Amino acid sequence: MLIRSKAQIIRDEFVTHGLLIFFSLIMVFPVALSLMTSFKTKTDVMILPPRFFPPQWTIEGYLKVFQSDLIPIYMPNSAINAFVSTIITVIFAAFAAYGFSRFKFKGSRALQLGILGLMMIPGVTNLVSYYRLGSQLGILSTHLIMVLVYTGFELPFGLLILKNFFDAIPIDLEEAAKIDGCNSVRVLWHVLIPLSLPGLFVAFLLILVYTWNEFLFAVTLLSANSARTAMVGLYDFQTSFEVAYHALSAASIIVLLPILLVFILGRKTFFRAMMEGALKG
Amino acid sequence: MKVSNTFMNRRNFFWLISPSILFLLIIQVYPAIYSWYLSFGRIKGGKYTFAGLKNFTRLLHNSDFYESLARTGIFTFSFLIACIGIGLILALLLNRCTKFTALYMTIIFVPMVLSEVVGGTMWRWMFQQSFGLVQAFLNPFINNVSILSRPWGAMAVVIAASVWKQLAFTALLFLGALQTVPKELFESAALDGATRSEMFWKITWVIIRPTVLLASIITTIRGINALGLILATTQGGPGSSTMTEAVFLYRTAWQFGKFGDAAALSVMMFLINITLGAVYIRLLKES
Repeated sequence: MLIRSKAQIIRDEFVTHGLLIFFSLIMVFPVALSLMTSFKTKTDVMILPPRFFPPQWTIEGYLKVFQSDLIPIYMPNSAINAFVSTIITVIFAAFAAYGFSRFKFKGSRALQLGILGLMMIPGVTNLVSYYRLGSQLGILSTHLIMVLVYTGFELPFGLLILKNFFDAIPIDLEEAAKIDGCNSVRVLWHVLIPLSLPGLFVAFLLILVYTWNEFLFAVTLLSANSARTAMVGLYDFQTSFEVAYHALSAASIIVLLPILLVFILGRKTFFRAMMEGALKG
Repeated sequence: MKVSNTFMNRRNFFWLISPSILFLLIIQVYPAIYSWYLSFGRIKGGKYTFAGLKNFTRLLHNSDFYESLARTGIFTFSFLIACIGIGLILALLLNRCTKFTALYMTIIFVPMVLSEVVGGTMWRWMFQQSFGLVQAFLNPFINNVSILSRPWGAMAVVIAASVWKQLAFTALLFLGALQTVPKELFESAALDGATRSEMFWKITWVIIRPTVLLASIITTIRGINALGLILATTQGGPGSSTMTEAVFLYRTAWQFGKFGDAAALSVMMFLINITLGAVYIRLLKES
């Protein structure tokens, strides 16, 4: 700004960074505490007064988690549900988004708003229906029900992201290719898919994070131990591991690690999606 | 309107959108209608018999329903104010910041990508009765009892955890809006001798107001329906002191097996959401 003195600018910088560091510490504290706890021994978890850093670093907690069903059963279940539903969602949403982006007709906007409106209806109001319908169809505690529910739930979100992407790809490119003698399939393969790959990747990452983390549908629709996801497993550990907080923390860290990696690799994607108003957490 | 694509016609369009539409009808629309059907019935031993409005009248005579409603109000209101207020402060700070912005954003964003169960587990641990690190600081003030075992304390923790998890959403949404504010406006305002608060209210606020409004609606909807993180932190307890309407629904169905009552509750929550959703769509249309 024009009329601020140098001293003012330095003071402003100081206050800005001071506050941002303060907020950052608060935001990261619960995660850092769990990380530290996960490297404590069972007895060090229970010393008074409690300490932040492990007096003695150990992977005892992790070893205890390795003996549980988390890694052989729950994590693979989560991965299957998340990957399958995310891939199906991205493909279907891409079809629909491309259609809405290229075919204009009266009522198109109303239909799109209707679909976006579904995004505003949260899962909790459908929980009872899903449970009843799932039990009548005999598909409770299966990958099938989770994939169906996740796909149905994430479609509007995928559609929203991908339509914005397709809208940004100029139609002229497709027409030029067509005039040059490409048929529809070749236009799709050589022009459209390469151009929309970044968009598909964004949608894929965001939906993958959601489906991996999802808890509510999983805890209500999956009762068999063999079908449980990592989040349901971790929720159960809260009672079964009770004061073994080193193991509980280790389990938390193991479960969040894949998503943290995805996030750190694709964080620019997340920021952009969020700043442009993409709605899902 | 001109059909703007040489090989996009009505038939191709239909094939492109039908998988999505079909999925949405089966997974979202049909279950929503089905829960209305369930709400008018009595479900016993898996069998359905029509019961008229009995589920609703029973619910309306249940004091838990009203207490949960009040708790939902307290929870959502605090959640909303904190998310919008702190989110705006964070966004203004990030917008002024020229160095390390990406680093701050990454750190602030972490809670948002964590799952609700992981977040809940972490917050429980901080306030664990004997060995919780934050609890240890609070102990001298509250007679060495975990803050999570006090009704108001548990509510405060649940709200704080929810805000912690959701904050990046409002902060980044606001940051996006702040970046659209033209810098020249401030320069000319500064030349005219405007104070900082004048500049904020007369320039920044005017431009970001629609975004704040949108964020408020979305945050309200999420607050009303918050469930996963509350379950993972307090399971609605102690007693029922963090039992919001959504937790009440969960308990009614999965702890007490009263699916008819839960369906009636679903329908009521659905109506509240639809109303808020309609407001949201209206705002979207206007912007």
